[in-house]
Amino acid sequence: MSRRVLPIAAVVVLAGLPLTFGAFWINMVITALIFSLAVFSINLLTGLTGLLSFGQAGFVGIGAYTLGVLAKQGYPPMLAGFYGVLLAMLCGFLLGLPAARLKGHYLAIGTLGFGILVYQLLTNSVDITRGPMGLIGIPTGGIDKQTWYLIMLAVCVAMLAALAYIDRYSALGVVLKMVRHDEIAAQASGINTFAVKLIAFTVSAGIAGLSGALFAAYVRFLTPDLFNEQESFRYMMMAVVGGIGSPLGGVVASVMLTMIPEGLRALGEDNLRLLVYGTMVLFVLWFLPTGIGGLVERLRK
Amino acid sequence: MSVLELTAVSKRFGGLQALSDISLSVSPGEVLGLIGPNGAGKSTLVSCITGVLRIDGGAIRFGDRDIQRMPQHRRARGGIARTFQKVRLADQLTVYENVAAGLASHWFARASGWASVFQPLSAGGIAQSVNRTLERVGLTDVSGAVVKSLPFGRRHFVEIARAIVSEPKLLLLDEPATGLTEDERERLAALVQGIAAAGCAQLLIEHDLELVGRLCHRVTVINQGHHIFTGTPAMAQSEPEVIRAYLGMNQLIGGGSDDARR
Repeated sequence: MSRRVLPIAAVVVLAGLPLTFGAFWINMVITALIFSLAVFSINLLTGLTGLLSFGQAGFVGIGAYTLGVLAKQGYPPMLAGFYGVLLAMLCGFLLGLPAARLKGHYLAIGTLGFGILVYQLLTNSVDITRGPMGLIGIPTGGIDKQTWYLIMLAVCVAMLAALAYIDRYSALGVVLKMVRHDEIAAQASGINTFAVKLIAFTVSAGIAGLSGALFAAYVRFLTPDLFNEQESFRYMMMAVVGGIGSPLGGVVASVMLTMIPEGLRALGEDNLRLLVYGTMVLFVLWFLPTGIGGLVERLRK
Repeated sequence: MSVLELTAVSKRFGGLQALSDISLSVSPGEVLGLIGPNGAGKSTLVSCITGVLRIDGGAIRFGDRDIQRMPQHRRARGGIARTFQKVRLADQLTVYENVAAGLASHWFARASGWASVFQPLSAGGIAQSVNRTLERVGLTDVSGAVVKSLPFGRRHFVEIARAIVSEPKLLLLDEPATGLTEDERERLAALVQGIAAAGCAQLLIEHDLELVGRLCHRVTVINQGHHIFTGTPAMAQSEPEVIRAYLGMNQLIGGGSDDARR
């Protein structure tokens, strides 16, 4: 009994801790949790179907800008965010139509191209997005940081719980594992593997879009640079450090990889800071090839 | 009324005529043996029936429908199940989970099934079908075991369980006796007879001719893509063309290249 109580108490204390943080650090945790949804969307796609996407920031950007542009035109932010998620899903579906037929590096290049395309559109459609000048003053203010933190905590916990349920306990979980493990056997059992990939693309894009919409609502200021291919790589890195197929690891990794570089600012000079950061990531992958999620699995056993 | 009916099926790979003019049919409850030397086209034929390959000529009817244009997963949903020569299971999942996956994968055919895939694996409907099937194939004792931990022979039975849990109309068994112990072979024989008794049509590809002779109501012999004989196993043994084809095959088996070829 006490073996169960202790970890739960630790998690509750840890989850409550950011509420006591100053504005700077709580801000960091909130953005990390928002990013963790984008990381999660990569995890979902790669972990469940083995498909790689290097263009995830594109979907995040679509969600963010849809909310930003519509909210500035007077749409209620909730509705604008909903449209953002829908538009991201639509784009995910359309990208999935050709991309789900691609394999391995062809797919990686294809999705990378999509990310760049979205970035260029955001940069150059000045009439709509104001381009590099940035979208300023998105009218979603009035919520304090503590509340934002609790909202994000709830969203992440709900997402993790839903996925853990599907993965561990539901019939859908074993079907998806069969698809991932052996497409030929899955097809022979009546699964339309193309449809599964297409749905995975669509849902993953929707979650990335949600991440973007939440980001826009929270930060209330957008520039295209927040959604370039570097961001896509950052999400991918967080997903890998967290452990592909481990959503919880992804959340932990995105919080750590967002906060550590900031904490390292104490080291002062910028280049040294990034060097330490990069070396840390390398060491994690060296000693934990299955990421943080793999470590958690091992500890549990 | 036959479950499966192939009429003059042919398949080419570039310049190679892999199948020419193959006709066969299987009725409910019947076990049809499909035999022939290596390279005869047995696996190609299975691929054409399951939809991995599209045929170049002829017709494939399943029940009352033409299925030669139907994609693989829709044929499977329609009731064509198969096992593989080389077992294809999710090794790190349990026996129960593998069989449950075979059941749940069929639910996507109807919109109403989309909601059911979210129910827990231990839900009554799933547990009932899976446990009944595991009992049929004699795997109840290892239901919770990870497939990887099972001896090789028993994995064949997991695959059969995954195939029959959805109650197919036609079961294609691709060399199910390979690597089985004597005990397991007998259990397989009883299982095939049980499946037939339940009304499922079966196509059995097998090199173990003793087993074929015992289990099959009829056998179809093909050689180099051509149909050379269909009849009872007893008749096959005295058919000169079958003997000629099999002399070649025995030499191949004797030469030990049987497995090396795959």
